Amino acid sequence: MNIFRKNDPASRVAEERLKLILIQDRLLLSPQDFESLKKEILKVLSKYFDIEEASIKINLERTKEKSVFEAIVPVVSVKKGK
Amino acid sequence: MGRTIVVTAGKGGVGKTTVTANVGAMLAKLGKSTVVMDMDIGLRNLDVVMGLENRVVYNIMDVIENHCKIQQALVRDKHLENLFLLPASQIHNKEDVDIDKVVDIVNSLEGNFDYVLLDSPAGIEKGFESSVSPAKEALIVVTPDVSSVRDADRVVGIIESKGIFSISLVINRYDLNLVNKNKMLNFESIIDILGIDAIGVIPEDKSVIETTNRGEILVNYMPGSPAAKEFSLIARRIEGETIPIKIEEPRNFFGQIFKRGMQ
Repeated sequence: MNIFRKNDPASRVAEERLKLILIQDRLLLSPQDFESLKKEILKVLSKYFDIEEASIKINLERTKEKSVFEAIVPVVSVKKGK
Repeated sequence: MGRTIVVTAGKGGVGKTTVTANVGAMLAKLGKSTVVMDMDIGLRNLDVVMGLENRVVYNIMDVIENHCKIQQALVRDKHLENLFLLPASQIHNKEDVDIDKVVDIVNSLEGNFDYVLLDSPAGIEKGFESSVSPAKEALIVVTPDVSSVRDADRVVGIIESKGIFSISLVINRYDLNLVNKNKMLNFESIIDILGIDAIGVIPEDKSVIETTNRGEILVNYMPGSPAAKEFSLIARRIEGETIPIKIEEPRNFFGQIFKRGMQ
């Protein structure tokens, strides 16, 4: 979860809050389920990569044709032996 | 065949009725015969916003229950001879409405008019369904705040599940001063977050309250006001013109006074 700083502009805070709210609404996920989804994705990916857990971004974007689930997970390195 | 467009929103109080009345009036001014239908059964408002409350004789429930013909229930606008109101009933509940009968009424109106605009009730309960079912196109009214955008997203999902895929946003009460100070969501991010294009961005305009209090439609009474200008563009975009969205800088204090003097 992002902690919004007081000096962030209100419009930016609104945008970030909405994005999170809409992912949960669109997926029909509770905040708890959403967190566990995130954890499980991380768990699977960590088997193969060293990842930057703090900067993971999850988004569910709706375009005219379809909804796209998107997870941006910065990879530090590929784990050896895989 | 006419086009049927539902004007809806997730959250109440964002301006559905104002948008319905003004877009309807502008389409009529463009020469299109238009019916605006109040689907908010039990809480009718469109008659008041248009200043037609004293002329209402019959309403949509009278038509549904065969107490009168559709033509008898239509109320002609005070100023525009090709604009008509089909009022809601004030004494019924939304549950009393037979959706199939509403669809029949709309189909019959489509045969005689260029546009049928449905002013939907707030929320996503029964009344919402009966106002969405007859429509093939939807305008979703949204104000630039978190709760309105969130509720709009729910409505988009439900409308799409009903088979309406021609959906546009009307972003209402847009305050460029606040947007410029980064205090309000800008319209580009609302479009981006919802994944739906906007057909118009209506500036916050105090003339709306004044004209509504007088029982006049803004585009009739103060056609030069900033919101009226955008309603005019929305009607032209509905008609198929390609006019890019451009937000006008609000006029200064003296500009406002001068403009009022011209009315």
